[in-house]
Amino acid sequence: MVALAAQVRRGAIKSRQMVESCLARISAHDKSLHCFNQVFADEARAEADAIDRRIARGEEAGVLAGIPIAIKDNLATRLGRTTCSSKFLAEYRSPFDATVIERIIAAGAIVIGKTNLDEFAMGSSTENSAFGPTLNPWDPERVPGGSSGGSAAAVAAGMCIAALGSDTGGSIRQPAAFCGCVGFKPSYGRVSRFGLVAFGSSLDQVGPLTRTLRDAALLTHVIAGADHRDSTCVNQPSDILPSSATLGELTAAQLPSSNRRVRIGIPRQYRAGNSPAVDAALARAVEALTECGCELVEVDLPMTAQGISTYYVIAPAEACANLARFDGVRYGRRASLGATDSLFDLYAKSRSEGFGPEVQRRIMLGTYALSSGYYDAFYKRALQVRRLIKQEYDAAFARCDALLGPTTPTSAFLLGGCTDPLAMYMCDVYTVNTNIAGICALSLPAGFQKLGDRTLPIGLQLQSQAFADRDLLGVVGSIVERAISPAFALASCI
Amino acid sequence: MASVGKSAAVVSTRLIIGLEVHVELSTRSKMFSRAPNAGHPDNFDAPPNSLVDPLVLALPGTLPVMNRRAVELSAMVGLALGCSIARYSKWDRKNYFYPDLPKGYQISQYDLPLCGKGEYLLDMSDGSQRRIGITRAHLEEDTGKLGHELPGGHEYSGSLVDLNRAGTPLLEIVTEPDFACAEDVVAFAQELRDICRFLGATEGIMQKGHMRFEPNINLAISLDDGTEVRTPIVEVKNLNSFRAVKGAIEFEAKRQLEEWQKSGRAMGRGMKSTRGWDDVRLATVLQREKEDAHDYRYFPDPDLVPVVVDDAWIAARRAELVEGPSARRRRYGVEFGLSSSDVRQLLDDPALAKFFDLCVAEVHSVPARAMAVAKLLLNAGAKRANELGTSVTHLGIAPAQVVGLLALRESGTIGSQAVDPLFALLCASDGDAMRVAQDAGLLQVRDDSQLDGWVDAAIAANEAAANDVRAGKLAAIGRIVGAAMRSSGGKADAKALHARIVERLGEGGA
Repeated sequence: MVALAAQVRRGAIKSRQMVESCLARISAHDKSLHCFNQVFADEARAEADAIDRRIARGEEAGVLAGIPIAIKDNLATRLGRTTCSSKFLAEYRSPFDATVIERIIAAGAIVIGKTNLDEFAMGSSTENSAFGPTLNPWDPERVPGGSSGGSAAAVAAGMCIAALGSDTGGSIRQPAAFCGCVGFKPSYGRVSRFGLVAFGSSLDQVGPLTRTLRDAALLTHVIAGADHRDSTCVNQPSDILPSSATLGELTAAQLPSSNRRVRIGIPRQYRAGNSPAVDAALARAVEALTECGCELVEVDLPMTAQGISTYYVIAPAEACANLARFDGVRYGRRASLGATDSLFDLYAKSRSEGFGPEVQRRIMLGTYALSSGYYDAFYKRALQVRRLIKQEYDAAFARCDALLGPTTPTSAFLLGGCTDPLAMYMCDVYTVNTNIAGICALSLPAGFQKLGDRTLPIGLQLQSQAFADRDLLGVVGSIVERAISPAFALASCI
Repeated sequence: MASVGKSAAVVSTRLIIGLEVHVELSTRSKMFSRAPNAGHPDNFDAPPNSLVDPLVLALPGTLPVMNRRAVELSAMVGLALGCSIARYSKWDRKNYFYPDLPKGYQISQYDLPLCGKGEYLLDMSDGSQRRIGITRAHLEEDTGKLGHELPGGHEYSGSLVDLNRAGTPLLEIVTEPDFACAEDVVAFAQELRDICRFLGATEGIMQKGHMRFEPNINLAISLDDGTEVRTPIVEVKNLNSFRAVKGAIEFEAKRQLEEWQKSGRAMGRGMKSTRGWDDVRLATVLQREKEDAHDYRYFPDPDLVPVVVDDAWIAARRAELVEGPSARRRRYGVEFGLSSSDVRQLLDDPALAKFFDLCVAEVHSVPARAMAVAKLLLNAGAKRANELGTSVTHLGIAPAQVVGLLALRESGTIGSQAVDPLFALLCASDGDAMRVAQDAGLLQVRDDSQLDGWVDAAIAANEAAANDVRAGKLAAIGRIVGAAMRSSGGKADAKALHARIVERLGEGGA
């Protein structure tokens, strides 16, 4: 993407060409894969032509000049609908753009479409979409992961150059791992949440899904930074990229300085319960990193196992309040009522019709956790465990620059292959604690698993401390990427 | 149980009243969004659902951002009530479904309010002071309104939602149960209104619901067997006039005694009920039997950061405080000697009181002159404001001009008839009072030859009256003075005219 944007700015390739090639991939494959809820073909062509004209006139075109980017459909866009893959918002149009949308558009990007997700980002397979599941481009019998499954699959299938997703407990990293992309969850407070339809407000972050680490760094660079519309978005320097680096020099600028030895921690808790292929990928990575001079440190994170239960108190508690606004009064789904129906019926029927089973389950979980008499046992206790998880990470990061482990215990599972909600929740065992602690994490492709005639990608995760985003996307990430990421052409999957 | 109420006779009863007050702040924008605030005077006439933005409508993806001024004003009210200001307070979500609550939760402060314990010394009419304990004061957002009438008063079969008020900053002040009668509650309520209005925290227009009172009322009943029982606490919701506050408390005092005599039910856990006030029947009406029927599932709002303030911030708020109503009442009443109705008029209009103070500063707070300034503002000023349909402070007259006018009158440079016209002219002019009076020919004439001319003409034109005076009927002199004054166009000094006419006609002489 970095190179493509540079070529577009030089006039060497046209934005319109890129848009056409993405649209061609979409029309060839999206009927079956269903990565997109909506494709903005005409608008994208018009925007691309406008950018090409600006460049032809010699005008400034931005660091993402002419790059087609897919947007998870829980980010508010004035263009088209913002559905969250929910029946409730099937026809909902936002009167404003999310801050991240404003920022990528200002940088010259082209919004090519809105991608499918688990309804309101609640899920790990994109099967919870009210509009049908997205299929994994590597194996259409398998899920792309979730909840940003549409974004990950679209990047993998070459239907866009990059995508935006959101990550509340792994929703960027897990689908990135399942689809062979790079996925990055920025530190909490790095990227504005304004315009992101809230799920778990203290956990949600918007982040990129891309083909390479450099692309993820560039896209994060564009979307990060304080926003007066989000009080939790803190005033850290917004530049993720080294400010002195021009985009052409990115590679050089991110080369590790020769005298810096990067320390990578391997938590022993991250080695239990993985599939053999995932364990093998981790073992290969450890070897490769040792070979290229990294210091490998054994780390103990005993709170790892507490993450899922903590997450499934905090996230649903916040979600049940966040989703209370979907009441059928002002916008969205409104049930038709009988003459004897009450106000309560308006709420109950609209919400029962509008929300799918997983969303209803989590609303009930959260309502229960906050109820008087249960608050202390659940919500308050979860906040206490949250503090312990943070402390444990702090101690770990005193000993290493980043923690390496699998993004997920297995590669992509079969559609309909995981019907037990609890088993589904366990997919996020390595990713939820990142959000609970508010730190940043990156999922990088780390090889493949052969399954019959299919090849499935495997992802490894690198976590680093809060606001170490720049190093994780820079020095540390690039060393690891070069050591572990296989050379492969994306979009070779279909 | 019921027999308890009947076995012993009632010796006396004592009211126990605590008060919750909701104050709508008059900030420019709402509590958590940039939408215009219904509590600000610019927006009083806004049509329904016009003071909204995506956040007020709770559109997906919107986030609240705290209005700093609302927090500052709330802290100032807290300081004026002697409250401690929390160095750390936070925002919580109070969850419930209702069509006037767009988000499905109200952002409020649950366990860590901005203002903590305080106390206020209330001046009583007998000159004593009563201590009113303040439990806390916290900030939250108001809800919208549900209605069943279309604009213009036409009935509508369904329910209509107006979100203009949704998100208005609302300061909730809670007192200790330190009141023993309706009069004290009303006195405090009025005092609180004055405090908030002088601080510029609210417009305080009762009819618009800018202040809503919710007394918690019960009775301590002393029995002839030496024991005391307390009746269950009743909270009367949403009273927006002082009359209603008084009426509701007095009604409850009677009702609770009767109820206890019938049922013998005494105060206990979960017994608190909620009642409303029926302004027509002048009675309280049961709304909700048990208080803890609702579980609001409070939890900290993750969209907002805690409010952390330091000593410097609190000192800055303290520095913003202005003289409160009790100190003002003493200064105006005791020091300057203004009548209690004049004091009330000034306290009712904080802008006028502040303007009055600027004028008073120009006369160095000399009591007699301060009183003359007050009279001038409350008479000539109010009259002119009334003519123009505005308020004295919007007339455009400057304090120096007011004092200049006063000085001209005190020295007899202008006559009493010139006061109103000169006041009106000064409102439209930047010039000083002397120059404006001179330019308008409003100065009193004391020039002998001019006075003589008017007097001669008046005597000539009123021969009968002149003869009466000559004959000793001095009452007739008024007619001649009046005629001379008329021909002077009101500019003559009335005293000088009088003296001259007496001199000319002599007392029964010439």
